Amino acid sequence: MTHNKEIAIEARGLSVSFLIQRHGINNIKDFIITMGVKSPFEKKLVLKNLDLTIYKGECVGVMGRNGCGKSTLLRTIAGVMKPDSGTLKVYGNVAPLMALGVGLEPELSGMENIKLVSTLMGLSKKELKNSLESIIDFSELTTDEIDMQTKRYSSGMMARLAFSIAVATEHEILIIDEALAVGDLGFRKKCAKRINEIKNSGSTIIYVSHHLEEIKNICTRAIFMEDGKITLEGDVLSVCNYYEQHLKPKVAPPIVTTH
Amino acid sequence: MNPMIYLMIFTFVFGQVFSEIDRYPLYALTGLVFWIYFSTTTIQVIESIINSSGVLKSINVPTIAFPLAAQLASLISLLLSLIPFFILMLMFGLKLGWESLFFFPVVILFSCFTFGVSIILTSFNVYFRDVQMAWSSFMPAIFYSTPIAYTSSLIPEKFLWVIKLNPLYHYIGALREILYYNQIPSLGTFLLIGGIGIVTLLVGILIFTRLERGFVSQY
Repeated sequence: MTHNKEIAIEARGLSVSFLIQRHGINNIKDFIITMGVKSPFEKKLVLKNLDLTIYKGECVGVMGRNGCGKSTLLRTIAGVMKPDSGTLKVYGNVAPLMALGVGLEPELSGMENIKLVSTLMGLSKKELKNSLESIIDFSELTTDEIDMQTKRYSSGMMARLAFSIAVATEHEILIIDEALAVGDLGFRKKCAKRINEIKNSGSTIIYVSHHLEEIKNICTRAIFMEDGKITLEGDVLSVCNYYEQHLKPKVAPPIVTTH
Repeated sequence: MNPMIYLMIFTFVFGQVFSEIDRYPLYALTGLVFWIYFSTTTIQVIESIINSSGVLKSINVPTIAFPLAAQLASLISLLLSLIPFFILMLMFGLKLGWESLFFFPVVILFSCFTFGVSIILTSFNVYFRDVQMAWSSFMPAIFYSTPIAYTSSLIPEKFLWVIKLNPLYHYIGALREILYYNQIPSLGTFLLIGGIGIVTLLVGILIFTRLERGFVSQY
């Protein structure tokens, strides 16, 4: 049923590696002393030969154990990490919402931060001018608060500002990495509403979360990752069930004391 | 501010020692201002990437933008700080002439050199965070081995070649020739400092692009 749709993201045999440290060489002194004997860094394959197709307008939930490569997958899609082998095609501009508050400068005011982060996200001056009002509206921050230095913001206000910047403009692909668990209830509902709006406007959303409820509410499809590979792909409910079973805490055997 | 403190120390202490140098405060100042430009720029650029690691690991922006921004900010603040310094230099006997205009191309080439050195250090600093500390402790050694507060004529003839290996010597020398001696540096000097500047910049960019791939693993 999804096959007649346009493709938004297509990965074929995607492998991405990360440098890890061996031998504990993390300063230049050790590096010089052991020069040529040991290589200070080793490549560790995080994504292994991964195939993934995401269609336009889909909302895909990504689940998996910590450290299974979810964030690496998102970073590769966002263009921050480069694939070692395989191909990755991304059609459309990506708005990454990996961690809230990225790029916010504590010394600048809310207004200046909106301009700064929007520019980092790749908005032109004109686009920024058009979306400035909607960002401020969405964040529900007062004029006073917008002109205040962000270091004086409460963490909830900070999150509002950051989320508003990320979602106010229309991006074709939105990546959300466990960023929603912030703000008061009203704001969270608003976020969920906004995400639905984005979904309905035809944008693609990739959503990483450990909250099964959120995934069930938002996503139309889900994938489960294990050790750099996608092991299960399908409708939300079955993946959620699989997740629950798979990550069930192992029950420790009862301690039997004998006399 | 920093140059002012340096200047006070150097005029009072070394002014006595180097009394044979004509207009010593001007001599020291024409060197010190640019030395401080070099040292502050390298230190600011070194930190630029790891300070922005949060942005770099989640948003796809060109990494080079951060060191470049630090370099440009530093250059602008140099140009602004030159206004009070020119006034001070005039008090110390600076003569401005049309040859003073040659100051600008030299500063541009000096900036190329500075940026080249800085991005090499920055690239390594992402992998090994103590490069920054090693560089700051190395700094005084460079300062005293470059004829900034003293003249190269004080150095014994047979060690002069060592001093000439130091690229900073040629830049400070050219700037001083313009501002202190009111002379236009020879074509040879221009070729030399131009060559050093461009080669350092290219090597810097090469090393940076080579190491850039692994940056994301280090944030």
